[in-house]
Amino acid sequence: MKKILCLLLALVMVMGMFAACGDTDETPATNAPVSDETKAADDATEAQVGSNSDVVLTFMTNVVGEKATALEAAIRDFEAETGYTVEFSAPGDSYEELMKTKMASNELPDVFTTHGWSVARYSEYLMPVNDMDFASRISDQIKPVITDAEGNMYVLPIDIDIAGMVYNVDVLESCGINVDDLTTWEAFADACAVIEAAGIDPMHIGGKDTWTIGQFFDWVAPSFYVTDEANSKAADLKAGTFDTAVWTELCQMLYDWTEAGYFNTDVLTADYSSDIEALATGTTAFCFYGNYAISDAMVVNADANLGMMPIPSNSADDEPTLIAGEDIAIGIWKDTAYSAEAQELLEYLARPEVCAKIAEAAGNAAGLTDVTVDLGVIQTYLDKYNTVETFAYFDREYLPSGMWDVMCSTGAEILALNSGSVEDAASVMEQSFMDKYVG
Amino acid sequence: MKKKTQWWRLPIAILICVVFLSPLYILVSVAFRSPADLSSYWSLPSEFHIENFVSAISEGKILKSIANSAIITVGSVLILVVAGSLAAYPLARKKTRFNAGVNSFILGIMMVPPLSILVSLYSVLVDLKGINSYWGLILTLVTFELPLAIFLYTNFIKSLPKALDEAAAIDGCGPIRTFFQIILPQLMPVTASVVILTGVHCWNDYQFSLYIMQNSNLRTVPLAIASYFSQTTSNVNAAAAAALLAILPPVLAFLFLQKYFIKGMVDSAIK
Amino acid sequence: MKKNSLQNRLRQSQMNLFYIPALVLFSVFVIYPFIKGIFISTTNWNGYSQNYKSVGIKNYLRLFTDKNVRTALINTLIYGFGSTLIQNALGLALALFLNEKFRGRSVLRAIIYMPVMIAPLIMGYIMYFLFSYNRGALNDIVMLFGGEAVDWMANGPRAVMLMTLVNALQFVGISMVIYLAGLQNIPAMYYEAAALDGVKPFAQFRYITLPLLHPAVTSAVTVNLIGGLKLYDIISALTSGGPGYASHSLSTLVHRTYFGAENAGYASAIGLFTFLLIMVISSIVTRILAAKEVEVS
Repeated sequence: MKKILCLLLALVMVMGMFAACGDTDETPATNAPVSDETKAADDATEAQVGSNSDVVLTFMTNVVGEKATALEAAIRDFEAETGYTVEFSAPGDSYEELMKTKMASNELPDVFTTHGWSVARYSEYLMPVNDMDFASRISDQIKPVITDAEGNMYVLPIDIDIAGMVYNVDVLESCGINVDDLTTWEAFADACAVIEAAGIDPMHIGGKDTWTIGQFFDWVAPSFYVTDEANSKAADLKAGTFDTAVWTELCQMLYDWTEAGYFNTDVLTADYSSDIEALATGTTAFCFYGNYAISDAMVVNADANLGMMPIPSNSADDEPTLIAGEDIAIGIWKDTAYSAEAQELLEYLARPEVCAKIAEAAGNAAGLTDVTVDLGVIQTYLDKYNTVETFAYFDREYLPSGMWDVMCSTGAEILALNSGSVEDAASVMEQSFMDKYVG
Repeated sequence: MKKKTQWWRLPIAILICVVFLSPLYILVSVAFRSPADLSSYWSLPSEFHIENFVSAISEGKILKSIANSAIITVGSVLILVVAGSLAAYPLARKKTRFNAGVNSFILGIMMVPPLSILVSLYSVLVDLKGINSYWGLILTLVTFELPLAIFLYTNFIKSLPKALDEAAAIDGCGPIRTFFQIILPQLMPVTASVVILTGVHCWNDYQFSLYIMQNSNLRTVPLAIASYFSQTTSNVNAAAAAALLAILPPVLAFLFLQKYFIKGMVDSAIK
Repeated sequence: MKKNSLQNRLRQSQMNLFYIPALVLFSVFVIYPFIKGIFISTTNWNGYSQNYKSVGIKNYLRLFTDKNVRTALINTLIYGFGSTLIQNALGLALALFLNEKFRGRSVLRAIIYMPVMIAPLIMGYIMYFLFSYNRGALNDIVMLFGGEAVDWMANGPRAVMLMTLVNALQFVGISMVIYLAGLQNIPAMYYEAAALDGVKPFAQFRYITLPLLHPAVTSAVTVNLIGGLKLYDIISALTSGGPGYASHSLSTLVHRTYFGAENAGYASAIGLFTFLLIMVISSIVTRILAAKEVEVS
């Protein structure tokens, strides 16, 4: 009898659940459902501020670590000031996958960060920001990167990502290498030979994380395809032609370097954190990351002596370059139920003192003209190279969406020194480019 | 004679301990180690670095995620027991073609990698407003664990004598009454193993929770651990501490309820 | 007679009501998404855009020439059958060992079963501490004996073997318990009689234990096979399917194709192919096991 009672109870519970989902149906369609538990937890703050308490914005971001902490702190201050509730979520690695499922079902967060894809991937879901107050203050350096063909911008760029090769200053000094001489890949490879002979891994890639391999191509490909004005393939790429021979050449370089032992032994199985550890402790010289790697390495070893240099060119006739891109860029879902409140949040984050704090955590210059950021050691390098020409991230600008993964996986085959991997990589790249290219 | 047969057990026992305990030992060793301590994971940490646990609890929100996992696991298991035993009864009792079809269909579902239908499943949940809700995840987990529950219940009910049902039928009981009054009370042992097996799966689920529980307040244990591992690039030790805290509830539950665990399995697996 | 059959039919139809909760759940969360998946598999959808076009059966044709699919298929079979083989052989051996009465056997049983409680994802992270090249616990031992550090997961086939082993050892507790149960169901008098007739222990095992364990084999094989064929969390924590595509299972490949390569149409085709394949394998295996079971009883 007791058991039957238990079962009945369970059945009642099930009924209750179905009833509960009936209830949520009555809330506005665009408002993401919130469980009672979270609501209850927020009751305390809600009680004080009256009607604003009904506003619940969802905020999702790809950023992690120090950046996420700074962003969340700013958002908590915004909550305190306005009485709105902002559900902050930073899912880390799985962010892109989540966003893809959300786009697929047309159910996006009210406010989210676009990790370099505000135009190419997210613009059809975002509200243009051209008429918002902060738009006039967006720095000219970042404007072209976040503007689409019609001249619309979709995000608030908190900072600008200026990236070159990050390196360990002490390692290069001990090997007698002057970074200013490393203007071509040839000179760079010679330097690697010296470093390798000294028993240090010239370059470190944590290939288990796969995106770390894609970084290599993003760093190297511009110098093969677009930075040399005389031989630029930029127009071809945009028109849907992929020069496979050049890609083969680039892959061959990676293969040769791997064979020569210029990468760490565990290049296929190490991860990003081991890259950072190697950089911080001086067991490697170069990494293919933005300035965040410097900030991260400083956490591991506060005494690490780290620097940033422009990316070498592929020919003596060309100059080294830097990569410029979106970093933390925040947009509003065009179908949000809280358009006005979301704009308020963006304006709040655009305030000089708020924006500066987040940009500082990112180790980048701000994306707004009237904001100065204290960048410490990174600033000296940004100043040193402020005349160097910048190019966009290769895959975001010149390749169709979805090619990143192809670069990562074909790169791994090369790092494994599989026979035929160079030719395979080039033909797979070409094939995927043709499949994914949308005119 | 007795003594002679004993000695060879010792090396085997030691080998078993080494193989099955060393992963746990490594986890404990990493979790208590200071990030600055670079000695081998096999050696004892030079000091017990409790800060790892402090940051795991404060940054990783491990305790909140344990509570979420508990709600989800209990909810799922309750529904699983009801829906699973109900569906198993006709399956075990009737030998029709239709039932044979249902049976292989259920086995099939048990083997489907859930990812193959993930996105369409996700949009169904969006339409039902089930994203970021306990019930959304619970019903999804129940669906994909249900075949296992049905499988176990069917096997068990088959072993119950049919005479029970027949006697009930002669007394004028309909199948519904027969099930609730005659069959259900017999199902306790197998229910224990259904609860154990599916409960562990629900507690440990990663794939579904990842897509359904996006709000960080609703994170389950594996989600909290995964995001902690991907976020704290520079502090593996705190991540290990978080992982250690996360496996404690099921492991402790197992150690305390061991007797029932193994007995439940023994009583039900074979019949 | 007539009345009886009418009553019978009534009973039957009433019993069908019992399926309703399960059927509702399956329809909403499996069948409907599955049908939608068939539709997606005939498109070139990238997984998120509102624009896509139909490509007919192109995705299915591609499936049969794609060497990554072939690798993943072989790996999936290794994960599935390899784990099943190890879990059953070892599970039975452990059960035989721990079925005898001696001090500490319940402690050993608990130790063997405990890893089952740990989330496979977390087990994957723990194994990373063991298998990594730098500071990996396994390499510490190798070097202690004067060997050279090995980059365990850098070689695809080796990574597949190691992960099969990890999965098998983590879940061997389940098979062990199932076999313990089976052993305890065998009446002791069979052995006593055999011993009286002078039957050797090995022959006892071969002619009494094994045949009577058959139901246990069925349960254990089914449970293990399902776990192995669906292997996902450990792969994603340990190698993410790498190096390259060398250690992907079909599940992780679907995920990668869907979200990484942004090829949702093709991923759906792989997913459906996986579904059919596993259905066929499972029905063959269950049929073989069921046939043997009848012979025994």
